[in-house]
Amino acid sequence: MESEIFGQHISRKFNEELESLRSQVSTMGGLVERQLTDAIEAIVSADSQLGLQVASRDVQVNQIEVEIDEECGRILATRAPAAADLRLIVAVIKAITDLERIGDEAQRIGILAARLATEKQPADRYDELKTLADHVLDMLHDALDAFSRLDAEDALKVVEEDKIVDEEYDMISRQCITLMMEDPRTIHRFMDVSWAARALERIGDHAKNISEYVIYLVQGKDVRHTQIEAVREQVERANKILK
Amino acid sequence: MPRFWQQALLRVALLAAAGGAIGGLYGEVWLGLFAAMLVGLVYQLVWLARLDSWLNGEDLAFLPEGEGVWARVFSRIDYLRQRARRRGKRFKALVKQLRQATRSFPDGVVILNDSREIVVFNQAAGAMLGFKNQDRGLRIENLVRNPDFVKYLRAKEQSQAVEIQSPLQPDAWLLCHIVPYGLSQKMLLVRDVTQQHKIEHMRRDFVANASHELRTPLTVITGYLEAIADDPQLSAELRAPVDEMQKQSQRMRQLVDELLRLSELEAEPGAVGGTRVDMRAVIETARQEARALPDCPATVESVYDSEQGLRGVRKDIQSIVSNLVSNAARYTPPTGKIVIRWWTTEAGAFLSVRDTGRGIASEHIPRLCERFYRVENGRERIGGEGGTGLGLAIVRHALLRHGGSLNIESTLGVGSTFTCQFPASRIVAVD
Repeated sequence: MESEIFGQHISRKFNEELESLRSQVSTMGGLVERQLTDAIEAIVSADSQLGLQVASRDVQVNQIEVEIDEECGRILATRAPAAADLRLIVAVIKAITDLERIGDEAQRIGILAARLATEKQPADRYDELKTLADHVLDMLHDALDAFSRLDAEDALKVVEEDKIVDEEYDMISRQCITLMMEDPRTIHRFMDVSWAARALERIGDHAKNISEYVIYLVQGKDVRHTQIEAVREQVERANKILK
Repeated sequence: MPRFWQQALLRVALLAAAGGAIGGLYGEVWLGLFAAMLVGLVYQLVWLARLDSWLNGEDLAFLPEGEGVWARVFSRIDYLRQRARRRGKRFKALVKQLRQATRSFPDGVVILNDSREIVVFNQAAGAMLGFKNQDRGLRIENLVRNPDFVKYLRAKEQSQAVEIQSPLQPDAWLLCHIVPYGLSQKMLLVRDVTQQHKIEHMRRDFVANASHELRTPLTVITGYLEAIADDPQLSAELRAPVDEMQKQSQRMRQLVDELLRLSELEAEPGAVGGTRVDMRAVIETARQEARALPDCPATVESVYDSEQGLRGVRKDIQSIVSNLVSNAARYTPPTGKIVIRWWTTEAGAFLSVRDTGRGIASEHIPRLCERFYRVENGRERIGGEGGTGLGLAIVRHALLRHGGSLNIESTLGVGSTFTCQFPASRIVAVD
């Protein structure tokens, strides 16, 4: 019971290869999701040990990226895929780069968490940061789900979500600047907080990229660097044709 | 031969005879016979055509009456068809019932095939794991990406359940258990354990906080008691109560300390790394501690069959050994004997504490490690001061953290043996 788009090869072996490639991407995605969850947890609960643990686990993410990369190269060389299969390989190669970057950002947040844990905790326990993080985590989760389900419409929702994350990031950085001006002794701490927020905002962008690859993969349309209204129109039109 | 076949044969014979006779009148017997057979054949073909159009027609309820053998064939087919329909209905109703049953199941159920693709899932599973109807046929690890779950899923055998954070809400917890199902399929059972998680968390926090809060007033009380006891002007009649108060406050302090230690052990589950621990030093410390107890048995022996050390947290290992030895000392009469033995094999490292106490009845053994569990009859206290009732609970938790297990053997009236087993990977050479 392979998915419909890729399930029609004469070679059963090829089907399996593509399926397991998709699974590998999901495994990597799961690892990255956990890294991000733990990094946020480390900040909120001021757990420096957890933060450092996240930082040291980034090696695993890098390793799996290399593995998937090699597998993609092997499939390209031996199977010479065309059409949807080729798009899958291209999308995978791009998506894992973004996932790896997310891993790097999570690592950065982990290190920042370890440093922030040694300083005074604010009364709100970084509430705004947590809200932003939950949002970004949802985006990443939905993007990976859309990748698994090959669902362009869900992917489109993630792309739209990115705007809200950007706004939240702006709000946090403005807040940080205000707090730093009020009391210059906190500059060091709030620099770290705004770095963490910046990392989260970048993760949101990467999740958006992954969703765009999903749209490309399912409908063969490149929707990068396009206005969101135009993207929605394209997705809807393509959906009509496909149905 | 059944009657209707006889009739059918008779008819053919009559038709042939009639054809032959009419043909004979014109001097062409064979031609007449041939014409008669042709008529018979056409007649049969007409019925066959009717049967065909009935079977392929839309109105199956309208049953041609048939004639002769054909009547029988028609009614038989109709009977078979109706029976199949009745069975189909029953089967459908059964499937519907089963579906409804699994749907209203409070736990999530997902059936996976041998390549871990989702075959079916019930409503609860869909809600807990965020599956949509279109997800049938997708590999489950593409949707439930938690690394712990994926590792569990890919393991050769799934003996224990695994607890994961819900993919939908990070603060919800799910207990997943995979059981073999059918020939090569697997069934994944999912249960929401968020509530248990919360309660467990609250309980742990409560114990830790309560112990902390108890400590402060206790320090004040022991401080003043000490000052009073040191006062030479203390009247003789108050001396005994003050001594007793000191003793009891000491005991209470120990209890609070052990509660704290236990909650610490519980708060950091999972295996620990640790450093090299010299078992000889640990065991000798425990021996000295036991000797200091009142009513300690005359002989406390230690036997070393191995010179290897153990990789672990020194504080934990010490509390394991000390608790076991002091327990043994407490429940063994002064004339008895305690033997501490340390040995290593390929299966792992072992530490046993054997005593010649009164033994424990077998029905108490499974519950022995529960906190504050007391054996009422079988294991009366011999020494004046009992333990806190937390010793074995601490032992068990400390062992769990080191991947070890505790085995208790006991015979009433003869004695007990407590054996700790540590995994072989924790054995390290003493330098």
